[in-house]
Amino acid sequence: MTDAQAVSPTGAALVSTLAPGAFGDMPKALAVQAIDMTKRFPGVVANDRVSFEAADGEVHALLGENGAGKTTLCNLLMGLYRPDEGRLYVGGKPVRFHSPRDAQDAGIFMVHQHLRLVESMTVAENVVLGSSAPRQLHFSPRAVEKTVAEAAERFQMSVDPRARIWQLSLGERQRVEILKALCRGAKILILDEPTTVLTPQEADQLFSSVRDMAGAGRTVIFISHKLPEVLAVADRVTILRQGHSIATVPAAGTDADDLAALMVGRDVSLEATTRVSQEAGAAVLELTGVWARADLGSDALKDVTVQVRVGEILGIAGVSGNGQRELAEVIAGLRPTTRGMITIGGARLPSGDPRAAIDLGVAYVPEDRMGTGISPNLSIAENLMLKSYRGKAMSSGPVLSNRKAIANAKEMIDRFDIRAPGPRTLVRQLSGGNIQKVLLARELSSGPRVLVAASPTRGLDVGATQYVRRVLADTAASGVAVVMVSEDLDEIFELSDRIAVFYSGRVVGTLQASEANRQQIGLMMVGVA
Amino acid sequence: MVIAVVNSNIVLAVVVSAIAFGTPLVLAGLGELLAERSGVLNLGVEGMMLMGAVCAFFVSQELHWTSDLVLLLAVLASMLAGASMALIHAFLTITIRVNQIVSGLAITIFAGIIGLSSYLGQVWNIGGVAGLHQFNQINLFGLKNLAVLGPLIFNQDAFVYASWVLVVGVMYYLYRTRPGLYLRAVGENPAAADAMGINVTAYRYAHTLIGGALAGLGGAYFTLALAPIWTDGLTAGAGWIAIALVIFAFWRPDLLVLGAYLFGIFSALGPTLQTHHVTALPSEFYSALPFLMTVVALAAASTSWANRRIGTPASLGTPYTREQG
Amino acid sequence: MTGPLRFERRLDTPKWLNVAVPLASLVLAAVIVAILLLATGHNPISTYHEMYSAAITANGALSSTFVFATPLLFTGLCAAFAFRMRTWNIGGEGQLYMGAVGASATGLALGNWPRPFLIIAMILGGALAGAVWAEIPALLRAYLRTNEILTSLMLNYVAGFLMYYLIYDSTSYWRDLTSPGATVFPTGKTLGPHANWPGITIGSFTLPMGFILGIGLAVGLLVLIRSTRYGFEMRVMGDSPHAANYSGIRTKRKILSVMGISGGIAGIAGSSQIGDFGHVLDPRGLQQAQYGYTGIVVAALALYNPLAVVMVSLLIGGLTNAGFALEGPSFPTGLVGTMEGIILFTVLGGEILARYRISWHRRPVVAAGTARPSATGVVAVGTGAPSGAAS
Repeated sequence: MTDAQAVSPTGAALVSTLAPGAFGDMPKALAVQAIDMTKRFPGVVANDRVSFEAADGEVHALLGENGAGKTTLCNLLMGLYRPDEGRLYVGGKPVRFHSPRDAQDAGIFMVHQHLRLVESMTVAENVVLGSSAPRQLHFSPRAVEKTVAEAAERFQMSVDPRARIWQLSLGERQRVEILKALCRGAKILILDEPTTVLTPQEADQLFSSVRDMAGAGRTVIFISHKLPEVLAVADRVTILRQGHSIATVPAAGTDADDLAALMVGRDVSLEATTRVSQEAGAAVLELTGVWARADLGSDALKDVTVQVRVGEILGIAGVSGNGQRELAEVIAGLRPTTRGMITIGGARLPSGDPRAAIDLGVAYVPEDRMGTGISPNLSIAENLMLKSYRGKAMSSGPVLSNRKAIANAKEMIDRFDIRAPGPRTLVRQLSGGNIQKVLLARELSSGPRVLVAASPTRGLDVGATQYVRRVLADTAASGVAVVMVSEDLDEIFELSDRIAVFYSGRVVGTLQASEANRQQIGLMMVGVA
Repeated sequence: MVIAVVNSNIVLAVVVSAIAFGTPLVLAGLGELLAERSGVLNLGVEGMMLMGAVCAFFVSQELHWTSDLVLLLAVLASMLAGASMALIHAFLTITIRVNQIVSGLAITIFAGIIGLSSYLGQVWNIGGVAGLHQFNQINLFGLKNLAVLGPLIFNQDAFVYASWVLVVGVMYYLYRTRPGLYLRAVGENPAAADAMGINVTAYRYAHTLIGGALAGLGGAYFTLALAPIWTDGLTAGAGWIAIALVIFAFWRPDLLVLGAYLFGIFSALGPTLQTHHVTALPSEFYSALPFLMTVVALAAASTSWANRRIGTPASLGTPYTREQG
Repeated sequence: MTGPLRFERRLDTPKWLNVAVPLASLVLAAVIVAILLLATGHNPISTYHEMYSAAITANGALSSTFVFATPLLFTGLCAAFAFRMRTWNIGGEGQLYMGAVGASATGLALGNWPRPFLIIAMILGGALAGAVWAEIPALLRAYLRTNEILTSLMLNYVAGFLMYYLIYDSTSYWRDLTSPGATVFPTGKTLGPHANWPGITIGSFTLPMGFILGIGLAVGLLVLIRSTRYGFEMRVMGDSPHAANYSGIRTKRKILSVMGISGGIAGIAGSSQIGDFGHVLDPRGLQQAQYGYTGIVVAALALYNPLAVVMVSLLIGGLTNAGFALEGPSFPTGLVGTMEGIILFTVLGGEILARYRISWHRRPVVAAGTARPSATGVVAVGTGAPSGAAS
């Protein structure tokens, strides 16, 4: 693939790479075509003049890093969002979707990562639930099972219509979702990171089904960040980067390096970190052979072994959803491990015990601030003592001193420059950046040995972002072992002493930041070791 | 209450009174079952039953037309009354998202023995006077004198037959119709149902209102069939028993009707057994037994092994809000 | 929220609204009831006046009001305390029964103890019985995650049957088998004179000891909730179970202790019934009174604030008193319940206004995906992975 076929980042016009003969002699009809789609959210342009097309019978992959705009584009295609600008055509006709229903009427269905199935009901019942058939009153389980069995046969989705959902594996459940869409007349199927929860065998089965569907004339668009599978199953690949469509290339004749380069971008400085590494001390946090389950039951962490030393920042790089969140939760004691051991300063961390983690000196700034990290309807002062309220500073015996809490809060508000009317302000009234400051203030003031920060600057403005990064660097400098999970490679490079790359629940590489380059990390993140 | 105290017919008598005891429970219970299946807990059943009873009696006393027509209108009035109360509950809990427990109790207090039903009874001046119309036993197919089954099955009033028909009807609705399937989905996993395009709010409203209507119907049994007379608080806690019954029956209509008659049997049987010294255990033990069993069953059903198989309306008691991330 | 009506949580509830709205709701309720009275041929002014007199000013009225208010104070605190942490203890009714059973047993067994000790024993006996009764649904909820609404409700019936059995159907310790009236109609043993709880008498008005105890409990609970580690943990758990877990709060133990305290308070309601008022276990009376369920309503009206529960228990107590006192052909029956119901509807509905801003949208809002950034600045994607930033 040569540069001439790449499209400039502004994505003004889509250069069709449907070379004659790419799919045989007749160019196929375009199932869906999006032109100059733009979608803005406060503070970010998720899709900037993105153009995209997929033909009948094509398997088309959308590739990109975090924040590239893949999910946004798909949400636009399936009617969940309305575009700020741009035009959409389905089967050659212009369309305007006001809701997912409209998109479904046009034959576009999306299968999400979080499946919507009623566990105690059968496959057949779930398929019927989703159907938009005219209100037939009567429902005969036998008849429906027969219909679903026939449909499964026809669409080559092998699944037992009489099985109950709770009996099925994740791969089978996904098949039920796909079958649901097919039964409702899906002509264009969008799959969002479908292999995240699948075993390798299930993934292969999925790809085979995808190829069958394409063979039958349907269009399958799937979002992925995993290069090997993209190359294995897609006909064409569209690469998005930072909200722009970069290029659309046929999968045949492309290799992983080319795709990775397009994903990551060539004009980014390959220079390493701006951080001056400290002399690393002894290992404080050690994970050995750790396995853990994800919420849906699959293995989120597989045989993870890492160490973090005193005064060191270990950056955890990887596309989100590869186990980083579960790693953070496991260290904080919020998620149990199924195998392996975690020690902090030599002392073993009991699995799934948040109190023990706190007592051992683990501080955790979670990704989900509002949901986990704070109590939204309590005041700043109360949130600030969420972990320290048991200690002598805050309470004498069972009695909590409100006075001390307020005084402590005032001091921290000053120190961390939290913009708020006062310590009694309810946290849900604060802006994102200030909530993050509250979190950091609380976590750091407990004098931790280990700090786990997950996506610490996500959603923050420039000023807050810089502030948080500075705090993280200072924290490490003061002798704390810092684990920083981030989807932002710039941030990883700016702050980390060492970088561990997560892919599919495993650590696929650990390198000194000073020796790493972006391309290398980028390749590891997408499964090209 | 019809209790024939003839030794040789004691079993028959007990069963007959069990049916009389159980019929309003079945009616109100089916209503509550449907409401809870959609995820709405309604503790206001007692109040709705009383409203149904008083309104039905009012219509029955005031309209001077043919008996059949009057009774029909009275029945309709009772259902309308119950549904109106249910509308308040539905609006408060579904739209305004008030706590379901509190709202239900509010309805019971509002409409119950110290509330609106008694108020209306006084205002309409219908208390303490014998009813002009009553549902009488129907000699079904002329078989009322058949041995054993005759008096039991072929000599009941329209309410009893209606309750049997409704049980079958609701079972058919739940397990053999699409709306019933959708209803079960709404109760077990409202988020999934919502994602599949089912209007959770509409289902909850509809089934709460139906629940109220059936509760009203159950109340009407007291004033139109049982002993046609109105007194304050006539239902004497039947509404509360219906609520317990629904849970005891694990939201299944077949178990509900069995449970209703079982409760009735225990009520009638207890004292009978005691006077005949058949059992050493007090009758209250038997009365309490179903409730204890329910607690055990609920505990067993919450284990994840059971939970996924039985599929109780998991969302019971909590309002549904679409997750906003 | 689906449909055109949207509720947006107010960022900042102005303080004046917190007081104004409940008051306005009460006024609205009074107006609605007045209209109802007019429509059915009664004079609202004179009716209200009669009620006021029967509740407060008439001879002995105030004392009677406190008689009704005392149990409601306890059951109201029981519900308010538990509901704050979102453990829905609706078993206050049964816990009260068990408390009465426990207190009367204690009072009978230790009848010759000196009065102060006996009273303390009765309080503890009732509290313990109520607490144990509440621990059954608590244990099931904490360890099996069984819905405590259903289990605590079922146990109310069981407690009722037990209590009934002890007096009406057995020769139990509680039953009076000797005195002449007892052979005709089953009654419980009357407790000895030491078991009578002293009240404070001012002129013709008697303040029951139970009520004073209740006020003390209310203050104690308030202090517990606001100023102790325990209360802090409760508040966090009630607000965000995830944050509670995250900060190492032992949630299972919390459920057990909160339900236990809640049940214990309802048990003291039972003790007070024996000690302050009846001096005998009266199943029929207790079951008709439905203090436990009414207590839940009291708690809701008080917005789960312990001090407000004191006020509301007096309000409902007064209404109930007036209803009983005025019962007769000329006074509308069922007015009390109707009024209480309407008060509940207006206050509950009004409370929503205080907390949320309602807006009307012409076009139904597109699913959950009109992505507005949530307070964290993270774009909320309604479908798809929960940690979904635009990707």
